[in-house]
Amino acid sequence: MTARFETPLDSWIGRATCDLSLDSAAQVRAEIVEHFESALETAIVAGTNAADAERAAVAALGDARAANCQYRKVLLTSAEAKMLREGNWEARAVCARPWLKTLMQAVPAIPLAVTFVMLSRGEAAAARLPFLASLALFMFLAAPFLPVYTPWRGRVYRAAKWAALIAVFVLAFGADSLKYFWLIASCLWIPIWTEATRMSIRRKLPVAQWPKQLYL
Amino acid sequence: MNFKGTLPTLILQALAEEPSHGYRIAQRIKARSKGVLDFKEGTLYPALHKLENEGLVASYEGVEQGRTRRYYRITKSGKAVLTKDRSEWRELSRAVTLILEEA
Repeated sequence: MTARFETPLDSWIGRATCDLSLDSAAQVRAEIVEHFESALETAIVAGTNAADAERAAVAALGDARAANCQYRKVLLTSAEAKMLREGNWEARAVCARPWLKTLMQAVPAIPLAVTFVMLSRGEAAAARLPFLASLALFMFLAAPFLPVYTPWRGRVYRAAKWAALIAVFVLAFGADSLKYFWLIASCLWIPIWTEATRMSIRRKLPVAQWPKQLYL
Repeated sequence: MNFKGTLPTLILQALAEEPSHGYRIAQRIKARSKGVLDFKEGTLYPALHKLENEGLVASYEGVEQGRTRRYYRITKSGKAVLTKDRSEWRELSRAVTLILEEA
């Protein structure tokens, strides 16, 4: 059996990279090891013994938890990396089944057709619901096929998406919108959480590395 | 001495003098302040990543004494931000000095 010893530097890096994605953790490890070796070299050249130099170099790095807190603000966390990997489910599904693209584009058209039928029958009040359903479905299902691939278009699309979502609830509940705020909030928490995570990823990744879903 | 919030400006200033790697940036800040500004070196890299995400610095790989290292250089927008930060700091410093000298 071989004993595994963790050096103070390994332990510092382990705490500083907690919850970071594998790539981010590897990047942090590389830069901290590089920094540590330079500090060690300088101290040894100045006449400090190796053990003291190592202790001083680790101490100079400061509190690993504070560093972890700052790293999580600027590098991808494991949850964000997972969202980035798996967040393009529409694109992957469509690539695997080309008929799905037609279906995703056609689904919002169905309630829209129902809206027109109801309007032609003079049922304007009742036509409101299929129209809202069409709008909401369009914002989500047709989004991957829209030409949204610049930060500016992304901002416009996101503003339109949230305006449409709020409009759907306001039109659906009318004057009772505030009364049913709890229902709206509980329905929207997943899109809000997704949007917040995407915002955080957008801040951390250069635009050149953004996948399609980050624009939406 | 705690200088929270000014680290990005100090990094930009160090990089405006010449492109450098993390360890040298830390040493330069400490040496230029004659040891008064002593910060935890583990916080230097998150600050560098933040500046890089904002496009104020750019990184590249370089070799020093046979060792591959990540170097950072200030960008054009980084220089503009540094100029603005410098003038804001001078103004703030002048104002605080005025108040403290009156006391």
